[in-house]
Amino acid sequence: MWSRVACAGLASATLACNGGLQPTPAFPGISGIVTYRGAVPDSTQAVYVVAYHSFPHSRDSLFTFQPPVQSLDTLPLGGATAPYNIPVESGRYEWVVAVWVKQGFTLANADSTLRETGYYRNPADTSQPGVVNVLAQPAESIDFVIDFEHMHPPCRYYTPPCP
Amino acid sequence: MPILHAAVPVRLPAAVLLLLGARTLGAQTAVVYGRATDSGGVPLEYVRVQVTGAALAGLTHPDGRYRIAGVSPGTIVVRASRVGFVPALDTVTVEPGDSVGVNFAMRANALFQDPVIVTAAKRSQFLDQAVTSVALVSDSDLARRAVVTVDEAVNRVPGVQFLSGQVNIRGSSGFVEGLGSRVLLLVDGVPANEGDRGGIDWDIVPLADVQRVEVVKGAGSALYGSAAFGGVVNVITRDIAVGIHGRARATGGWYANPPSDVWKFRDGSGGLGGVDLTGSYGTEALRGALTLGGRHSDGYRQQDASDQWETAGRAEWLPAPGTRVTASGAWTSHQYDVFPTWCGPSQCDTHGQAFQPFLIDTSSQGSYTRSNKGYLFATVDRTASPRFAWMARGSWLRSHFTDYHPDDWSVSDRLGAEVRGVAHVGGGDDRVLTFGAEGAHTHVTSDIFGNLGQVASHDEVDVAAYGEGEQRLGRVRLTAGARLDGVAVDGVSQAVQTSPQLGAVLPTSLGTWRASVGRGFRAATIAERFVTTEAFGFQVIPNPSLRPETAWSFELGDVTTVSSWARLDAALFWTEARQLIEPTFLVDPSGVAKIQVQNISRARLRGLDASLTMTPIPSLTGAIAYLLLDARDLANDSVLAFRPKHLLTLSADYRWRTLSVGGDFRYSSRIERIELEAVFGNDPRVPAKVLDVRAGWQRGALSARLLAANALNYIYNLVPRTLEPVRTVSVVLTWTY
Repeated sequence: MWSRVACAGLASATLACNGGLQPTPAFPGISGIVTYRGAVPDSTQAVYVVAYHSFPHSRDSLFTFQPPVQSLDTLPLGGATAPYNIPVESGRYEWVVAVWVKQGFTLANADSTLRETGYYRNPADTSQPGVVNVLAQPAESIDFVIDFEHMHPPCRYYTPPCP
Repeated sequence: MPILHAAVPVRLPAAVLLLLGARTLGAQTAVVYGRATDSGGVPLEYVRVQVTGAALAGLTHPDGRYRIAGVSPGTIVVRASRVGFVPALDTVTVEPGDSVGVNFAMRANALFQDPVIVTAAKRSQFLDQAVTSVALVSDSDLARRAVVTVDEAVNRVPGVQFLSGQVNIRGSSGFVEGLGSRVLLLVDGVPANEGDRGGIDWDIVPLADVQRVEVVKGAGSALYGSAAFGGVVNVITRDIAVGIHGRARATGGWYANPPSDVWKFRDGSGGLGGVDLTGSYGTEALRGALTLGGRHSDGYRQQDASDQWETAGRAEWLPAPGTRVTASGAWTSHQYDVFPTWCGPSQCDTHGQAFQPFLIDTSSQGSYTRSNKGYLFATVDRTASPRFAWMARGSWLRSHFTDYHPDDWSVSDRLGAEVRGVAHVGGGDDRVLTFGAEGAHTHVTSDIFGNLGQVASHDEVDVAAYGEGEQRLGRVRLTAGARLDGVAVDGVSQAVQTSPQLGAVLPTSLGTWRASVGRGFRAATIAERFVTTEAFGFQVIPNPSLRPETAWSFELGDVTTVSSWARLDAALFWTEARQLIEPTFLVDPSGVAKIQVQNISRARLRGLDASLTMTPIPSLTGAIAYLLLDARDLANDSVLAFRPKHLLTLSADYRWRTLSVGGDFRYSSRIERIELEAVFGNDPRVPAKVLDVRAGWQRGALSARLLAANALNYIYNLVPRTLEPVRTVSVVLTWTY
């Protein structure tokens, strides 16, 4: 009996050890310059740069980007280029993308009011997205083009993609 | 409101006159007295001694003695019960004017819970006759666990979890940022949710006054209406014993420092302490008790201090056998610092960290709240005959909070009344009818439940009628009932809801089976309809046209003795909810994102709620409780927010003479999804693993309890950017006279 009690106590203590929130160094971030092409649509609400650890292949994963919404900064529009700097944690990012947000956006109508309007491309094969590895230091010079005349709905990247 | 104001004072004098006439009957009665001890001869306090078949009962004093007056002559059965002991019975014959001694030596067995409950059917019934799951927290549990507040006591009940102060029964509420609760709080059977926000002030009753807590799981709207959508918590205050009695309870303790130096936020450690004093005096006919208390806490994180003062009183008049007039009240003033969310980059000096769970966003520095709340209840209970009993009550409930930086405030007053009858057709328990009517008028004045920055008032009127019948057919007890509710806000009807419930209880060789199906609903609170404020940098806008959320709940359960020392209580449950009221983002015509509370979700909550209670040897008790919860947001085909899939509680206590040791371990799996995912979705989330360790010593009127809550100082959060308590070591000293 006592051995069972002792085992239960030990198991509880073991289960409770480790895990929990740990100190986490501040996000190093991704920075670069975007170059604009085309006219900014009149219905524009904002344009943001966000990063995904993996491609959002479904609507559920559409909002798994970094940084958190409250840390998003709107890109300045009107010029030919604009610098950006987004605070993200260390890790591998498959997709660093500019998101165009239409006026009237809600979570419910995200499929019709959000557009991919450009993303960082693989320097060796510019038809493919470029992977960005963020280590202890910020990933810099992650430059890409934002083309307002070639924007795509997020469902283009879903599995299966929209028509 | 004027109608309800008038109803209470008119009704009470009429009842008083009636009862004065009945008082002369007392001269023809007898007295039963005696002593209750454990099997070793140690006096037992708080043993409930009852003359069965009559509304006569008393509690034993610290020396184990009790006295019941007003006993009708004849052969009577006296029953003694206390949680953790086998109930004891004795049969005696009393003559008019007799004083008969009946002593009890009670055998300890943790499997025996107090079998009488009052919440599930709005009347006294045996626990195993309830058609829904009911969990109990006894005064022994409260003392043994050395908790300071009522919510701490309820938080370890199987299937119950608190998310930053918001109670969840089988995942009922989730977390809705303080707006509304899907659980109804009762104090001695009287609804006590806040009139404006619909939330629960757990500090409205001093813990020192709490006798026990009953937790009814599943939709309780068939008897309790709107807020009982996901369950009911009934806090039952102490009876008052005859004679002069007193109790002093002193608490002191300290909080652990952050486990990492990079999270350190103060030079020393934080402390906490408090004192509660209770005095009571009672005769056979008149009794009164008063409690005064206060406590201070430095808090376990930055800007987290609180001060609280509380008082509670109760007066009882027992003019005749079977009649009780009760007036009770409480008032609590609580001032506490507000820790809105922990800070991240650019929100404070993070010392190079991604987040600082012990520090606040500097823009929130100086935020605090003063929260005053209280109630006055008056109740007349009358057992007119073995066949019929009735109850009438009036109540006033006030909550008043003032937030500073940002500044806002709200005052709500709720006046309520209820009449209820319980008929035992044929005089026994084979057919029981419970019926009644209830009404409440709530008046809210505030500067955040209306136009931004402007003072606005709202009125809500709730009226209801209910009835439930229970019929025994052979071994089966069948229950059927329904409640009709009407809700009007600012003179406009907002909801008319019917909440039926069917249930059955069947004792078999494989245990006692219970099954029930019922409908629940919750009308939107005034806060949910009219809140106008700012949260997380977004403006929150009102939605006066919110519809009630509704649900159908099913349950199939069984309680069985699996061996001579173990008992299993398991239930499968299934709830289908519609029109759930949740905060969500929208964009106004000018393109600005805002938050509004809307009817957005369809949800399904189903799972298994099981607990195994064990007493392998008389001095050792243990329990394993497990909740498996499958909670789906059917509208978005995703996991429902703020519902952990697994909730496991392990408990053990060992007693040796005057000493005891024990502990609880609570595991809650990582919350898979949260509301406002777009804002907080990338925040770190971890499972909860909390170990509480306790030790106690009791000798005569003195007891000392040591509690190390979260003994391993596990750092975690359950809701976004809100750190749960760190290791807290406290000592509770109690002296009872």
